[in-house]
Amino acid sequence: MSSRQPLPTVTPFFADKQERLSEILARYPEYGRRSALMPLLWEVQRAERHVSEARVEEIAEILGLHATEVKGVMSFYGTYHEHPVGRYHLQVCRTLSCSLAGADTLADFLEDELDLVNGETDPEGRFSLQYVECLGSCGTAPVLQVNDTYFERVSRSRCRALLDAMRRDTLPEPTLERGGDNEPNAPDQEGGAA
Amino acid sequence: MKVTVNGTVLELDPGTSAIDAVFAAGFDVPYFCSQPYMSPIGACRMCLARIGAPRKERDGSWILDESSGEPKVFYFPAMMATCTTAIMEGMVIDTLSKDVKDAQNAMVEFTLINHPLDCPVCDKGGACELQDRAYEYGTGRSRFVFDKRHQEKHHPLSALITLDRERCIHCKRCVRYFEEVPGDEVLDFIERGGHTYIGTLEDGLPSNFTGNITDICPVGALLDATSRFRGRNWEYDHTFTTSLDDASGSAIVVDARTGRIERIKSGLNPEVNKSWIDDGIRFGHEYADDPERLKRPLLRRGEGFEEVSWEEAAAFVAERLAGFSGKDVGVAIRADATLEEGVAARALAQHVGTGQLDHAPRHGPSLVPLHGATVLDVATADALLVLGDVTEELPALDLRIKDALKGVSPPELFAHGVPIADLRLKERMPRASERLAVVAPYRVDLMKYAGAAVQVPVAGEAAWLQAMAAVAHAQPADEAVLGMPRAEAESLVRAWREAQKPIMIVGGFVLASEAATEAAASLAKAVGFRQVLVPPMANGVGLEITQVLPSHARYDYQGMLGGSAKALVLSNLNPAVDPAVAERLRSCELLVVHDLFLTETARLAHVVLPGTSGYEKDGTMVSLEGRFLPVRAAPVDAGEARDLTGVVKALGEAFGQRLEGRSVRSARRVLRKELGFDPTELHRLGLLRELPRRRAIVSLNVRETVVGDSLRVPSLARPEYLGRNAHLRAALGGPALRLHPEDAAARGLRTGDEVVVPVDGVPRRLEVRVSDAVPRGVSLVPATPEAPAGPAAVALDDLVHERRALEVA
Repeated sequence: MSSRQPLPTVTPFFADKQERLSEILARYPEYGRRSALMPLLWEVQRAERHVSEARVEEIAEILGLHATEVKGVMSFYGTYHEHPVGRYHLQVCRTLSCSLAGADTLADFLEDELDLVNGETDPEGRFSLQYVECLGSCGTAPVLQVNDTYFERVSRSRCRALLDAMRRDTLPEPTLERGGDNEPNAPDQEGGAA
Repeated sequence: MKVTVNGTVLELDPGTSAIDAVFAAGFDVPYFCSQPYMSPIGACRMCLARIGAPRKERDGSWILDESSGEPKVFYFPAMMATCTTAIMEGMVIDTLSKDVKDAQNAMVEFTLINHPLDCPVCDKGGACELQDRAYEYGTGRSRFVFDKRHQEKHHPLSALITLDRERCIHCKRCVRYFEEVPGDEVLDFIERGGHTYIGTLEDGLPSNFTGNITDICPVGALLDATSRFRGRNWEYDHTFTTSLDDASGSAIVVDARTGRIERIKSGLNPEVNKSWIDDGIRFGHEYADDPERLKRPLLRRGEGFEEVSWEEAAAFVAERLAGFSGKDVGVAIRADATLEEGVAARALAQHVGTGQLDHAPRHGPSLVPLHGATVLDVATADALLVLGDVTEELPALDLRIKDALKGVSPPELFAHGVPIADLRLKERMPRASERLAVVAPYRVDLMKYAGAAVQVPVAGEAAWLQAMAAVAHAQPADEAVLGMPRAEAESLVRAWREAQKPIMIVGGFVLASEAATEAAASLAKAVGFRQVLVPPMANGVGLEITQVLPSHARYDYQGMLGGSAKALVLSNLNPAVDPAVAERLRSCELLVVHDLFLTETARLAHVVLPGTSGYEKDGTMVSLEGRFLPVRAAPVDAGEARDLTGVVKALGEAFGQRLEGRSVRSARRVLRKELGFDPTELHRLGLLRELPRRRAIVSLNVRETVVGDSLRVPSLARPEYLGRNAHLRAALGGPALRLHPEDAAARGLRTGDEVVVPVDGVPRRLEVRVSDAVPRGVSLVPATPEAPAGPAAVALDDLVHERRALEVA
């Protein structure tokens, strides 16, 4: 039927990452090729901080799917972004435990401090602010996730120090909380793409 | 299995779903997400019921109820969705108790939370499943005092389908439909939870079967753009009829209001199209309402025409015909005429005493195969060889082929109809692609689903079939011709031979050539295929078996146009698109044209008689499988237009003769004698009959001298009416000249350019579409009734560039 106008040509993301691509695809049997969808999305997102429509089509092409299907999966998860997020993607958990521990105050503080509202990125592309649902670290609420790292029991002063550090582009090591996710033996956060 | 539904005891087959048990027992349970012919998923939770079943002890004996001594019924701890629950021995289903009513009530309330109350302006109002269910199972009042979700209300998913995202209740029928039925996953849920909406990234839903989602949408979210805001459901006259757009015999419902066709919906014929029709059938009706339709007979006066009465027109024709020797008169009708019209044409030819009688388009070989197969056989086949582009030629068959790949035989019908939840169907079922082999001269859609796909050269089918037959007979064959290594060809042949039900589907490219048709028949014989032959138009089979055929090969349609006829009566045919034929017709002594529009041919005629479209006539058609199906007239204002029986009636009166076929009724008297049954009594689902094979092959000298390197290809949208079907044209684009990217680049052509190019010497206005599905050096142009599918000569060197496509940034 009607043919799509071609998008402006972009170099395929996986053009020079064939090895990584086949490694990901090899994790799944041939009939379950579409299972590689999540890791591939994650691969792109990690490198480009968002998954553009061109990448969605590329992934669809690789997996033999329609772009719509890739988009359906991608839009289901809040972790994939259509537009690039800032270098520091601040994710504030506002589910019950964090809320009780003052996540709303923390969110207000961040909004004022950064002059951003939920879902925005500042013009420099440094900070993005996003409210998320439970990060699974209720014991150390309130939790602020910066990119892939948890910052726990974030008080106003800790938060201010953190922001200052990030403004100098020096992301500090997260504080170690007892029972927190940043403890040395804590489960690996990498992936997020299970 | 014994099942008790609200006290009614039933005996049902294992595997039946609980929802079908409830309906089989004569009770009702509300549902939104289930849909006959699609997988049950239990998404809407509307069909909740209280279900219990007896349990067994470890030793296999039933746990008994102490007081009654009967097996004790253990109820499930929560309400169960009946659509995804299979029945068990002794199962007890309760749909009437207060608990169940409360649960249903709560689900209705939940579903209505975000559903706008715009029923008074909704096209689905009065035919809406949600509305009905809300009345039956809801409380009638809303406790929801907050803002409802606001979303886009007029989102054009394509030129044919408009989506109202607020009305969507997320039943997922449309999303599942695309994956399960045509296999094109072009629609999906986007976002999550309360933000979920239906969307697509593809431009305009690239599938040939998009319209069906408007039928299955339980609310007014997905609407047919051709009929949006045109009428209320209770105002429509529903005519259950059969589509004359192709030879599938698909059941359709024509909805008309105040003399105008507003929309076409799919009818239900479990053995033919199930409940699906393609977009060509559904949206290709707007031409019937075109303002340029002829409403009264026209008589030539000098250079122009004058509107006259039928009597005057008929008297003129009768008087002029009397001046001819019978054998100089030719009568030709288009191959989508009904059997009754065929009888009328025959009667007219008999009366004037001519053997020059034919229907067109028509292939040389007979359309009745030696060992035929039905559409249902196709759906249950375990080996399929498809020759041609079935998806465009006969889309209904495309869907049944995909059914065969799923390997789920069609469900047994209940008293309440098709099972609402057929538990054998699943989302993302594996398709046995190894069952399907597709052979075509370009990359056709069906090849995506095929285990073996061979692209043969233009007109290379005969050679391929002969080579395959050679493989079957263990003789040497050229691998280049086979398009695959010999070992592969051998394993294909072996698979065909071992199959229980191997079927060969023969499309127009093969039937266009006698050699290829013979080769197909001998391959079929060699490996045991039964054949399905695809007629070029709706009633090709019917007109063949009722002998609307010339007495001699030289008197066929091409012969008549070539000069064997001095007087011509043409019904719905437009040969004058070819300037050479137009020149000959100009010198024709009497030209009577019966058509819907003032076509090129009608302009040359002495008398033009207004004809009826396929929606406005009563009659009978015979589908490709030999199924006799009724065609019924919808109440459409067509002025004084008449079908061919009406023409013959008027002429007969002018002759002073009562001709056979002067009405549908009199034609049926003749048919009853010939066929052995009365077409008046045909059931809506038709009657499957063994067909007589035509004795001698009456050859058509179809421009056999013209053998080009290009192809006329079938298209699901009838090209003769595409220009008058505004919505369909907007979705599909105009008639296309499809080219390989390199060929297009070499001539500076881009998708969307409008060009005029000679096809077999006939200049045609086409829209360029660049596609890598087309082989290098081949151009594809749409087949028309005048020039059916087959090889063609497309003179790209004489191409005139009319308009360039807009530059898109």
